[in-house]
Amino acid sequence: MTTLLRASALSGGYGDDEVVREVDLAVAEGECVAVLGPNGAGKSTLLRLLAGILPASSGRVELRGKTLQAWRRREVAREVGFVPQIVNFAFPVTVTEVVQQGRAPHLGPWRPPSPHDHAAVNAALARVGLSERSTAAVQRLSGGERQLVLLARALASEPRLLLLDEPTAALDVRHQLELAGVLRQLVAEGVGAVLVAHDWNFALRIAHRVVVLHRGRVRAAGPPPEVLRSELFREVFRVEVDILWRDDGPPTVLPKTIAET
Amino acid sequence: MRRGADLALVAVLLAAAAAALVFGGPAATPGEALAVLLGGGSPEVRTIVLGLRLPRLALALVVGASLALAGAALQALLSNPLADPFLLGISGGGAAAATAAYVLLPAAALGGVPAAAMAGAAAATGLVWWMARGPLGPSPTRMILAGVAVNAAASAAILTMLALAPSPRLPGVIAVTMGSFASASAGQVAWLAPYVLVPAFVLLLHGRDLGLLATGEESAAALGVEVATVRRRVFMAAAALCGGAVAFAGVIGFVGLVTPHLCRLVWGGSTRRLLPRAALAGAALTVLGDLLARRALSPAELPVGVVTALLGVPFFVALLRRSA
Repeated sequence: MTTLLRASALSGGYGDDEVVREVDLAVAEGECVAVLGPNGAGKSTLLRLLAGILPASSGRVELRGKTLQAWRRREVAREVGFVPQIVNFAFPVTVTEVVQQGRAPHLGPWRPPSPHDHAAVNAALARVGLSERSTAAVQRLSGGERQLVLLARALASEPRLLLLDEPTAALDVRHQLELAGVLRQLVAEGVGAVLVAHDWNFALRIAHRVVVLHRGRVRAAGPPPEVLRSELFREVFRVEVDILWRDDGPPTVLPKTIAET
Repeated sequence: MRRGADLALVAVLLAAAAAALVFGGPAATPGEALAVLLGGGSPEVRTIVLGLRLPRLALALVVGASLALAGAALQALLSNPLADPFLLGISGGGAAAATAAYVLLPAAALGGVPAAAMAGAAAATGLVWWMARGPLGPSPTRMILAGVAVNAAASAAILTMLALAPSPRLPGVIAVTMGSFASASAGQVAWLAPYVLVPAFVLLLHGRDLGLLATGEESAAALGVEVATVRRRVFMAAAALCGGAVAFAGVIGFVGLVTPHLCRLVWGGSTRRLLPRAALAGAALTVLGDLLARRALSPAELPVGVVTALLGVPFFVALLRRSA
């Protein structure tokens, strides 16, 4: 498997506030890495650093073997699809218009979309199940549908790597399962994914490896069977959990009580 | 449907321009003016139509296009539907400097008023920039707050000078603060038209980036926009357009605010498609506004800013209520 993205001793944050500290992380083609951690652990900041949206204060990020600084922003955007948690739609736009924005990294300032661009947009809409809603105003969609629109926008750029910031935050259970199916299929097709998630069980459905962040540092990393320990949840999330291992599928983490400290 | 709307826009623009030349005022009847456009007419009427009305039309076209283009770009840059070229204090700075020039300069030096307005607009731009600057270019929220502060200071300065202005100079001050094309000349057009080309090109060049920026800086950066660079360029280009408009026509409100919204209703949400259409629509609306300003209470002439405000306010209120 070819490594798509590799972070080495990556640190960064906002001004003097270093939120992410010396993180090592790699994701290969056809691999999904889940980043777990409590609120404020630095998960979203790590994702911004990996996307190059936020400059690192030290350490490095390599995209396909080349340091991120050596890439032009537009080239990075062609390789890496970033799905933010929230996007502000200040003006009325249709679902298709938003998904078309995903083609922007492939188009210059003047070139209108080609048939291939339109095909990529339609394929992305179909993949997330929004083809029927393509002419709807985004403002009229439910929160869950909006999140799917943002995923479709990232997919429209046909990226090799997806960075997802809590894509299930506004999804009901059915949509969560649908999204898990879409992501699993993309990964099976060779797309790499870094998935920031609060929902452990959603992440475990897809992830080959998990990275647990605690106060900006990697507290544990590896395949779920090696990493998931109730002591880890007690220490990092400060909750008592039961971990149910199954032969026919991913493990399930059941939170029980708040851990005594 | 979009093609039909494009053709309709061009037709409205041409019709507005022709109407401005033909129905421009009582000095020449429509028939006489039409004769000039067809190549005939008396020398006096030719002077009126080609020497007075034509520069006035050209100035209104350039200023209207500049304001609407700057407004559309700023609304996207600030992710704010209520943004307009005058929100950022640039017009305030220009108008204050122009007012000061009218009140303080000797009569022989009044040709320097546009230069003073440009200098004032540039100073206000620098001030707002300095207050709003940040690691990712000027922050939208700070730009708006800084603009409000600069506008407030400029208003205070204008009112002070209005109180002190000698009465013969008052019409000039009113023309600056409420907008007017009455003193348009071919020389002004020859200066302004090439001046607006570069900033207009910069805004059109970044149309796609602006559409992405309207959805937030993180989202735009993830889709390949160099956020800091684009913000700097768009801010400066919009400020340059606004400064040029204020220098030669004073403060004409609502064109920059309302035109982009009208165009969004017709052509949809794509900012790249919106910008050139907003420029043409802004030109058409401003020419029509100026025609109304000349003819509504003829022979008296209203400041064009009053007309655009009278037409723009009801639309603005409707927009505000619809967004609630």
